[in-house]
Amino acid sequence: MAFAAGLLFVGLYCLLTMKNVIKLFIGIEVISKGVTLALLATGFVKKNTLLAQSLVITFIVVEVSLVATALAIIINIYKHTKSLDIRKLTKLRG
Amino acid sequence: MIWQILLLSGLVLFSVLAILSKDLIKSAISLAVASLLLGIIFFRMSAPYAGVFEISVVAGLITVLFMLTIALTKAEGDVRESRVVKLAFPLFFVIFILIDVLVMKSLLQKIPALPETVEKGTFGDVLWKQRTFDLVGQLAVILAGVFSVLALFRKRDKDE
Repeated sequence: MAFAAGLLFVGLYCLLTMKNVIKLFIGIEVISKGVTLALLATGFVKKNTLLAQSLVITFIVVEVSLVATALAIIINIYKHTKSLDIRKLTKLRG
Repeated sequence: MIWQILLLSGLVLFSVLAILSKDLIKSAISLAVASLLLGIIFFRMSAPYAGVFEISVVAGLITVLFMLTIALTKAEGDVRESRVVKLAFPLFFVIFILIDVLVMKSLLQKIPALPETVEKGTFGDVLWKQRTFDLVGQLAVILAGVFSVLALFRKRDKDE
């Protein structure tokens, strides 16, 4: 569980400090790894591995959908601003 | 136990590399290696189905999607991250680990946990019968993802 908390910290640090949109999304991925590890570790300790596995698989499917949509948005952001800098999005109007 | 700790340490190490690496391709590869290690950890925790999904989908498919996006945007070096961020990371990480260990030590025995229940049946029984609603949710999420990607890449008509 301590390692899962470590992963959450690494991801949050990335989200709070980085400017590149792809890097920010990698931070979200790291956080999701921490959550997956915490889910399965809890199931393993409580001897509920089957239930934890089914939840992890659901989580992974949701994650794939999220990644596909977010990366499509990132490509559109790049087409619009010609940059991956998150600060340039503050200048968007309408 | 030693192998487990080594694998978990490797997972954290590669995740750190993924966020601190300057090159985006290296970041994506580090993330894939971290997923691979997480998959191996799942196998060792006697969760083979989750391990297979983690390795094939997260380490495989998501890495390919990341590579595609990086290739399509071609903006390496466009955004310069501050050096202070990289230099300050070890300090914050050590502080966090200290707090983490102290909190875990003091709280772990005090938080009431749910009683252990022995699971019956196979993984298929749990997934298809016990968690049926999750599967419906998964289908809805996949459909929503497909439609959102289609909507985001829609081309303009000629008369617009």
